[in-house]
Amino acid sequence: MGILSILLWTPAAGVLLLALTPGRNIQLIRYIANLFTTIAFLLVCWLLSIYNAHDAGLQFGEYYPLNPKLGSAYALGVDGLSMPMLALATLLSSIALLASFTVAHSIKGYHVCILLLEFGMLGVFLAQDWALFYIFWEVTLIPLFFLIGRWGGKRRHAASLNFVLYTMGGSIFMLISLLAVSQYDLEHGGSLMSSMHQAAQDMPRIEQVLVLLGFLIGFGVKMPVFPLHGWLPLAHVEAPSPVSILLSGILLKMGAYGLIRAVVMLPEAALLLQPVLIFLGLFGMLYGGLLAWRQSDLKAMVAYSSISHMGIVLLGIATLNEAGMTGAVLQMTAHGLIAAALFLLVGLLYERTHTRNIQDYSCLIQVMPRFTLFLTLALLAAMGLPGSVGFIAELHTLIGSFRIFPNVGLGIALMAFFSVSILIGAAYALRTISLLFTGPGKPRMQQLDDMTAPELLAAGILVSGIVLFGLLPAPLLELSAATLSQMNATISQRIL
Amino acid sequence: MDSLVVLIPLMPLAAALVIGLGHLFGAISGEADETLTADIASWSIIMSSLLTLTLLIADWLGKNSASYTVGHWLNSDTLDISLNFITTGFNVRLAALFSVLLAIVTHFSINYMHRETGYHRFFFILSLFSFAMLLLVLSGNAVGTFIGWELAGLCSYFLIAYAYDRPVAAANATRVFVTNRIGDAAFVLGVGLSYAWAGSVNWDIIGAASAQLTPGEATSIALCFAVAAFAKSAQLPFTPWLARAMEGPTPSSAVFYGAVMVHAGVYLIILLKPVFEHAPLAMAVVAIVGLITALYAFVVGLTQTDVKSSLIFATSGQLGLMFLECGLGFWRLAAWHLCAHAAVRGYQFLTAPSLMHNVQGLDTAPTNKVPTWLFVASLQRFWLDPMTDWALVKPVRGLAHDLSYFDDHIVDPMMGGAAPAIRAISSLAQLEERVIGAHLDNDSDTFAQGSGLAGKLTEWTAAVLHWFEDRFVLRGIGKNAINYGRRLGHIANKFEQSVLRPRYLVLFVFITLLVAF
Repeated sequence: MGILSILLWTPAAGVLLLALTPGRNIQLIRYIANLFTTIAFLLVCWLLSIYNAHDAGLQFGEYYPLNPKLGSAYALGVDGLSMPMLALATLLSSIALLASFTVAHSIKGYHVCILLLEFGMLGVFLAQDWALFYIFWEVTLIPLFFLIGRWGGKRRHAASLNFVLYTMGGSIFMLISLLAVSQYDLEHGGSLMSSMHQAAQDMPRIEQVLVLLGFLIGFGVKMPVFPLHGWLPLAHVEAPSPVSILLSGILLKMGAYGLIRAVVMLPEAALLLQPVLIFLGLFGMLYGGLLAWRQSDLKAMVAYSSISHMGIVLLGIATLNEAGMTGAVLQMTAHGLIAAALFLLVGLLYERTHTRNIQDYSCLIQVMPRFTLFLTLALLAAMGLPGSVGFIAELHTLIGSFRIFPNVGLGIALMAFFSVSILIGAAYALRTISLLFTGPGKPRMQQLDDMTAPELLAAGILVSGIVLFGLLPAPLLELSAATLSQMNATISQRIL
Repeated sequence: MDSLVVLIPLMPLAAALVIGLGHLFGAISGEADETLTADIASWSIIMSSLLTLTLLIADWLGKNSASYTVGHWLNSDTLDISLNFITTGFNVRLAALFSVLLAIVTHFSINYMHRETGYHRFFFILSLFSFAMLLLVLSGNAVGTFIGWELAGLCSYFLIAYAYDRPVAAANATRVFVTNRIGDAAFVLGVGLSYAWAGSVNWDIIGAASAQLTPGEATSIALCFAVAAFAKSAQLPFTPWLARAMEGPTPSSAVFYGAVMVHAGVYLIILLKPVFEHAPLAMAVVAIVGLITALYAFVVGLTQTDVKSSLIFATSGQLGLMFLECGLGFWRLAAWHLCAHAAVRGYQFLTAPSLMHNVQGLDTAPTNKVPTWLFVASLQRFWLDPMTDWALVKPVRGLAHDLSYFDDHIVDPMMGGAAPAIRAISSLAQLEERVIGAHLDNDSDTFAQGSGLAGKLTEWTAAVLHWFEDRFVLRGIGKNAINYGRRLGHIANKFEQSVLRPRYLVLFVFITLLVAF
């Protein structure tokens, strides 16, 4: 049993242990859940220390055939693409549990669901076999359905149902695409990612485009891509804030991660669809930004800003060059940290005041100075201020997308759109800062407590990560560089 | 002396008209006019009973021809319905007895109903009922009898629902009326069959023609009238309505269910004696039903604890005995039994309220000489009401519900019926808002405001995108998909439930049989 299997099954073991724990013993349940997420996080830290960043291929691979007739296998492995995602997933799971101390009812079920969700997410990022990937992709749905549907806000039932229906609908297209590709894999007859790459080359061009469209719908729902984001505002607003952290921090990245894998598998089709992808990315940025600007509900604002930020990821993927891809991967990490920090801080503010309307707040800097510091830093990072990790990612994406246009005019037009969306992001971030923290004091807002120790720890880790990687991005870049350049080589070789 | 017979039902009818019209136009109202109403009602029925007695004496003296025809009521091809009366024999004796009883009860009611709300209404109905009963027993043809029969049922309905503001009274009245309609339907069918096979609706011709009828025809006619009689005289399985009829005021109970109206069924059987004598099967049915009813009423009567219920089941039992006597061929005994019972039971009902005063403090020992199961069955009145509910009321109600559903959900939407007003625009201002597209109920409009050209541009773009998002992405794909799915599932469930209901299974069986044959 390799280290990846140990990492993968750690949350599952936690689920088993929690299932045997009596439900009354709340302290013990919290302790066990936190212990197992911490173990997973430490395992990933150890993995990072022994991971060879200069090796572009799969590392720590494991392979056991599951169903030889169909060719599916229990195949795990990490590369430069999944490594940052693994770190993010385990980190945010720990932080979500730190933020869960205020969950009041059905504590056992809640922690079981969170651990099950972590299990599913790790499986998605570790799987090197499309069948296994698909299984874990669906596994994440079940705990999320219950997490939103049981512990959510007023419209939680509609939100959870909507979320599951959307994702299931997308998954069907993904499954059809996977089956279509595996038809051409007669030699190996398997669903391994590496062998599917070979199989995809044999497909006719038109089928490649159709298959990529299927993947685009399947992953686009999760990511979300512009017209398929209908579940997101409702689910993010209604979910309890720890679940919102996981949703926007990792679940959205699953879509982007899958899309990158699909694009590398089908670069010719991606080249054909490139204008569409660029348009969707840009439009998503503007669309999400403008709607976020309209929201007076804090959580809805962060939710729509997620759409805007994931538009940058899609734009980065659509460039099909190294700079753009690097930007996309960086933005995935950056948005994971920033959105998680925003949802964490907004959530703990909501617990104190029970209102999410920005206009109800005023002059919080007097009563909650530490909160003010963290939220201001997170919002500034969200608008892509230099010195935060968001800036690095946006810069890479901008450079990458500028390069794809042969003439300067189109490049400038694209840059103009990009800048406008960043400006809109700045508008709502700064407005939020000014409305929340400045202005005349309101009597209702004078008795609020500042952040407690666990909250400080959670927010501190996230915000320091944002600032640290913004100032010193090199380790983060190096982590994925080798894999990304190899991917780029594959793509450019296939395209030419 | 035959022509007197016309006046007999006409007197109470005139009284009813005067009281009814007077009350309708406000000429008779309030406590001040109680005397007037009472005088009109009681004098008319007293006159009527004097006339009947005269007719009776004339009959004894042999001055009456058997019938008296006033004229034709309607003619159509071979159908000829005349306005004729029977002026001899049992009918006249019964009319005399009934009119005297009616006069006594009317007189009794004058003091009993004093200062009751609906005093005038009561006497109007009582007079109308007197007319109906006298027409019933005197009419020489089946149609006239049926008019009286129906009017008596209607008056019974009115008086059970005398306190129509009480839901129990209104519900019971409806129940009684609907139960009686079964008998009415049988009556109409019987009249139709008589006309078809015997060629006339006159009682004497029907009786005379019965010898020429085949046994099957005679049995059919006899059974139809027997069912009508069972319903009117509260024989099984119609007995439960009688207990429900006790909601009315005491005098009405006395006259309807003690003395007069319940005997109409027995009267009808005796009147059709020639037909029954040619239909042994119908005789047997009448005898058996009468016997079972008598036993049933006896057992149930054992456990009744209030005076009216005891009397009502005694009545039912005695009527059962009369039917038994008819069924066994003791017609004369049945007729005497009828007259005697009418007098005695009328008296008992009238004294029932004061009986309560007289027996106060006396021990009424509960009966404990019967086996437990019989006791329980008696207390529950053999579950006749729940059985009827289950077998008839529930399916009909379900069918009505289904039809109403069909109406509401299919016919109305298709024809564009009135929509619920909840989501409609209630004021002109709201219409204006909607036309110019200002969503004033949405606070984000006031929240998201920009200044300057760029700010306004952003604001407008954001508003357009918000509209798009709200209309298509959130509502269009998300909410509507769930709603449609839910509606589809609902319809499927509904269909599944409907298909499994017994009435539809029965319908399918019928359709299959129809197709098969």
